[in-house]
Amino acid sequence: MRVYTMLLILAALMASITGAVWGAEPENDRCLACHGSKDIIKMGGERLLINPVRFAATTHSFIGCKTCHDSVTPQHPRDGAKPSKASCRECHAPIQAEYAKSIHSAKAACNDCHNPHEVKSPMAVSGDDINAKCAKCHDARKTIKSHTKWLPQADLHIEALPCITCHTGSKDYVITMAIENRPAGAPKGDFKLASLDELSRLLPQGGDISRVIDKDGNGSISLKELREFNHSVNRRDMRLWGMMTPEVVTHSYQILDNRWDCTFCHASGPKAMQTSYVAFPDKSGGDTRLPVEKGAILDILYGTPDFYMLGSTRSTPLNILGALIIVCGLMFPLVHGTLRLLTRKNRKEHQQ
Amino acid sequence: MKHTIYMTPMPVRIWHWLNAFGIVTLTVTGLQIRFPEYVNIFGTYKAAIRLHNTAGTVVSISYALWFIYYLFVAGTLSKLYLPTAEDITHGIFRQAFFYFYNYFLGRPNPHHSTPDSKFNPLQKVAYLMIIIILLPLVIVSGFSLMYVAPMRELILLIGGIKTLVSSHFLIACCFTAFLFVHIYLATLGHTPLAHFKPMWSGWEEEDDEGEQSPGNNPAKQH
Repeated sequence: MRVYTMLLILAALMASITGAVWGAEPENDRCLACHGSKDIIKMGGERLLINPVRFAATTHSFIGCKTCHDSVTPQHPRDGAKPSKASCRECHAPIQAEYAKSIHSAKAACNDCHNPHEVKSPMAVSGDDINAKCAKCHDARKTIKSHTKWLPQADLHIEALPCITCHTGSKDYVITMAIENRPAGAPKGDFKLASLDELSRLLPQGGDISRVIDKDGNGSISLKELREFNHSVNRRDMRLWGMMTPEVVTHSYQILDNRWDCTFCHASGPKAMQTSYVAFPDKSGGDTRLPVEKGAILDILYGTPDFYMLGSTRSTPLNILGALIIVCGLMFPLVHGTLRLLTRKNRKEHQQ
Repeated sequence: MKHTIYMTPMPVRIWHWLNAFGIVTLTVTGLQIRFPEYVNIFGTYKAAIRLHNTAGTVVSISYALWFIYYLFVAGTLSKLYLPTAEDITHGIFRQAFFYFYNYFLGRPNPHHSTPDSKFNPLQKVAYLMIIIILLPLVIVSGFSLMYVAPMRELILLIGGIKTLVSSHFLIACCFTAFLFVHIYLATLGHTPLAHFKPMWSGWEEEDDEGEQSPGNNPAKQH
């Protein structure tokens, strides 16, 4: 009985959501007819321009323009009235409350980091995207300088990690890999995130872009598929690159004490970095992540060939074995030296 | 009566001290690299890695020069380091028995060093292991770790980075263990410093009588 009630509620919920989508799209199209065209910049500036493809990929497009801009009249813009804007808090109250408590809330409002017309789900954002937001205020040079005081290889860390990995709380962290490439014939060139077009060229037969690695198309990447990809790509021009990202993104900006400890990330063993994804660019300008079989990151050469995370190869039994070898070396002088001391008379007698 | 013999030629001495300094640097920097949260001797992690890489390169080059010197210039590599059949079947046991038993009773060392036969059978085996097996292995594994991407095929062949790091670490531990034994054995000459001096000046002072004196042939450096 309970199950039926649940199913009914779920069906009603689905109906209301799909209803909203069906209802929202024609209405969005009417707004985007003007706001999606570059001509609107002449009328009131760049802020009025909305990228229709990016907007369509946001969850906000499902609820429709009028949900947030509810004072827009059919006469807009001829009525001269400035349309209202919803505040983020109206829907995202818990996030707003969490953010309000953080040290960051006094410095930036939601809109300073998130464009509501291009907002992506955490799963669809690459670490580079996230850092680009932070870099709007936090100058990269100054950030590296302040981190150098305590963080070894600060420049590498800041380049390879989204800021939120250390500055927001999350229970677990995952490694998100992405395909990077560099121009052919530029062996020393910088690797950059491969674009959708560039990856599409790897699939002349067409199909979902994830098929570049996920050969069987089952929606998850096995270690075997990962290895095959790494062996097949021209290693000089294409590679997989990993970034550690929070599994659940929060807005509790803070300086977390346990991040001063290198072993928070540079650890080895079954708990370390088992969960990973490969992110593929999608048509909306965001990313789609596919889960990777556990163990890919520890299987470093197969996972991310140019990425060697220190500490991932450490093991306590090996350290103990190493210490035993050194202790054996120390024991020889100690034991032999003691016996030598005790028997020194014998050698003197011989010499005499 | 005492006389001196020219035991250790200059190139070998330079190599020995370059190596000694290099290996101690590698050990200490390696300690910081493996246990950065407990050990910080060189200020930053990057500094430890740079110094480790530099010392590693210096030791590798000096090893290559040493190898060329002994093999082609001095031509004594096989004579000095290769144990004879007799060394394997009897020599090493005789020498071990001396170190662990006869030495304490004040009985004479079964081996007498000359410039042409510097090493006793145990030394030959130990040095051969280090110079022909452990040192090349630690050098190759070290360079593979310095250049992971270009050495990829080799690293895959031996079973991945974890195997590589593990072997590099364990061999390094063996070197550290050897260092203690090596320095200690060098004190077993007719005086505790007798074997340190020739490694500096080249000349070893020895008793004519002392040729057969106990412990006159410890780990004399290559």
